[in-house]
Amino acid sequence: MLRVRAIFEKTGRSKYISHLDLNRCMLRTFRRSGLPIWYTEGFNPHPYYAFALALSLGFESSCEILDFNITDDNISMDEIRDRLNAVVPEGMRIVSVAPQKLKITAIAKAEYRFELVSADSAKLSTDIDALLGGDSILIEKKTKRGVKEVDIKPDMEIVSRETDGDSVKIVMRLPAGTQTNYNPTLFMEALRKAGCEPFEAANICRTGIFCENNEKFS
Amino acid sequence: MLKNKIEKHLLSVQKPSRYIGGEVGSIIKDKEKVDVRFAFCFPDTYDIGMSHLGMKILYSLINERENYWCERCFAPSEDFETIMRENEIPLYALESLDPIKDFDFIGFTMQYELSYTNVLNMLDLAGIPVFARDRGNELTQIVCAGGPCVCNPEPLADFFDLFILGEGEEVNLELMDLYHEMKQQGASRTEFLRRAANIEGIYVPSLYSFSYKENGTIESVTAADGAPATIRKRIIRDFDKVYYPDNFVVPFTEIVHDRASVEVLRGCIRGCRFCQAGFIYRPFREKSVDTICSQTKALCENTGYDEVSLASLSTSDHSEIDPMLSQLIDYTADARINLSLPSLRVDNFSEELLEKIKKVRKSGLTFAAEGGTQRLRNVINKNVSEEEIINTCRIAFQGGYSAVKLYFMMGLPTETGEDIVGIADLAQRIVDLYYENENRPKGRSVQVSVSVATFVPKPFTPFQFEPQDTREMIEHKQKLLMDSVKTKKIKVSYHNPDVSALEVILAKGDRRLCKAVYTAWKKGCKFDSWDEYFHYDKWLEAFEECGIDPSFYANRKFEFDEILPWDHLDYLVSKEFLIRENRTAHEAATTPNCRQRCSGCGVNKAVGRECFC
Repeated sequence: MLRVRAIFEKTGRSKYISHLDLNRCMLRTFRRSGLPIWYTEGFNPHPYYAFALALSLGFESSCEILDFNITDDNISMDEIRDRLNAVVPEGMRIVSVAPQKLKITAIAKAEYRFELVSADSAKLSTDIDALLGGDSILIEKKTKRGVKEVDIKPDMEIVSRETDGDSVKIVMRLPAGTQTNYNPTLFMEALRKAGCEPFEAANICRTGIFCENNEKFS
Repeated sequence: MLKNKIEKHLLSVQKPSRYIGGEVGSIIKDKEKVDVRFAFCFPDTYDIGMSHLGMKILYSLINERENYWCERCFAPSEDFETIMRENEIPLYALESLDPIKDFDFIGFTMQYELSYTNVLNMLDLAGIPVFARDRGNELTQIVCAGGPCVCNPEPLADFFDLFILGEGEEVNLELMDLYHEMKQQGASRTEFLRRAANIEGIYVPSLYSFSYKENGTIESVTAADGAPATIRKRIIRDFDKVYYPDNFVVPFTEIVHDRASVEVLRGCIRGCRFCQAGFIYRPFREKSVDTICSQTKALCENTGYDEVSLASLSTSDHSEIDPMLSQLIDYTADARINLSLPSLRVDNFSEELLEKIKKVRKSGLTFAAEGGTQRLRNVINKNVSEEEIINTCRIAFQGGYSAVKLYFMMGLPTETGEDIVGIADLAQRIVDLYYENENRPKGRSVQVSVSVATFVPKPFTPFQFEPQDTREMIEHKQKLLMDSVKTKKIKVSYHNPDVSALEVILAKGDRRLCKAVYTAWKKGCKFDSWDEYFHYDKWLEAFEECGIDPSFYANRKFEFDEILPWDHLDYLVSKEFLIRENRTAHEAATTPNCRQRCSGCGVNKAVGRECFC
């Protein structure tokens, strides 16, 4: 049995497929591909596959991770990729297929690229400086036990930032994985709460998934 | 571009994937190379419309033609409709995201009377004039409709350019071919409609005028411009060879019937006298077992669905049901596909097959008894006997079942208090039967759910002449039933009688109702079939303002010699037969099914052969 990890893109119209719908969609994609995917054993066997991280509705991604098992050892990784790519929905594309190396629990961070479009992007950029210059960035996070106030500043890494025409383009790394998951919209909420120049978020895309030591997860 | 405008708002609505297309199986063409564009519109939301088999068939059929492009269009939910209106997003089709007002055909499927206001709302959202007469004389934007409700399309006549009667697999393409040809010649809309009216199955309502008698009934119907006096519905003669898609559009979001679906037969041999489908889809035709199996396999492989269901009015009436199920189960079990078998009578299967079915069948036990006493079941020609129900329940209880669902109707012709009490008695017999079983599971109680609908007389059934019970009569009968139920193990539920009243008015109405449909929509009526949107008070106001007495349509007996609003439409079943069946019903006598004996409904004469030979 092959333990396989696929990295796939989710762009264009496919960003409107919710996480729940993506599950169903993948099941049908596997069935259409005719690949011998491994089924769980037991009373109600079902094909086994797992997504490493959920992606918010409306976000694009170039690096989604999907794990599954193939029962035929003689199928090449490239063949798996090609057979899936022949039947995935528009906007989705399998970038690579390889044996699973690290455990899912090794995931620590995810990188996002997004644009904040504003009538006055220079002013917005100054507002962002002000927010980042403070001691903490407090946001309200909904948890199972109610609303909790958290400081996202210590866990937030700005990779790059530039003002380009009417937008501020930001690349940011945030905690992700089985423990803590932050989403760039938290940062945007904090920005709005601080009374910044009005903006609209656009083109939010997950661009990388990393381990604690900043090594690419694979 | 409309796409950007749509995307700007998509994340603020529920289930956005319904509004953006891009599903696997959807068909994209280069519009520069397309000659005729058809927007297939379903007058309800995506979740419901995408479950409709007829749309899947006609969508693929039209798209088989390289230079024709069929796209899908649904009614947006209220949240998105508000955004569309505020931001001037016209109703668009899901494949190209182009506004449907620029299409050649805007075709609706009319499945249910309570979706009529949605048609008006969708046309309005699209920026298409709601009334056909306001659409000018240019040959474009032909608004048409098909589906069961167009067997009496008069309450919709003012809004449509033409109706397509019967099965669409052939006539839709003939209509588009004519359009294509005349468009090239630079013909006008009027010229096109006049010629379309001469295609068998096409009804152009503007070419027909009605006059009325003083008592409100129809005096005469006159055809103009060489249109035929009667319009005959279309049927597919070789049903085994008829086009069937080998792929469906596979939605991302969950829809009502989210599975592959294979049509195994069309028509019905049973002739239950209340059932419109049982008459308007005649003659009975089957697909061969080989065709059914290969279509099942192709669909499952191409869509990736892990569930397939057999579509028909009564699958067990297929003459080769045994080998068919046996072969299908062999395939589906091997490919790990769930086979769902709705509306299956399990009375006369072999032991071996029963075992196979048991493995795939998960659904509960449901009986559509429809009437509470044998006498009433004879009146409606529903040939299910109390003994059959009891015997099947006994076997099911021994097999560990503890819940039974029973469907009934209230307000059927000749119904008395005895028939209502009979519903409670039958349910009680089933409860008692459960406790007679020594091996019943310990500590588990039996649950008999009784669901009671209000009878709606429909065109082209033997009961088309019958009045519907008034609200007072129905409420009285409901109370009688509640008083007759003595245990909490029997749970009774009802349909809203106002919904059934509106249904019969629109089903049996004539052309004068168009303005009431328009007025009701203007008052805000839409999604009438959704409880939370149903406002009967607004409908009553609309009737009043338009000078329409709803009881004239709902609660009046239509005379046998009266000209009915749908008499100029020929659904192959003769009016003489319907009258004969109505008389037989009032004698509480039954009519055997078509396979046992031909009862001369007229279909065989129209088709030119025996239905069974």
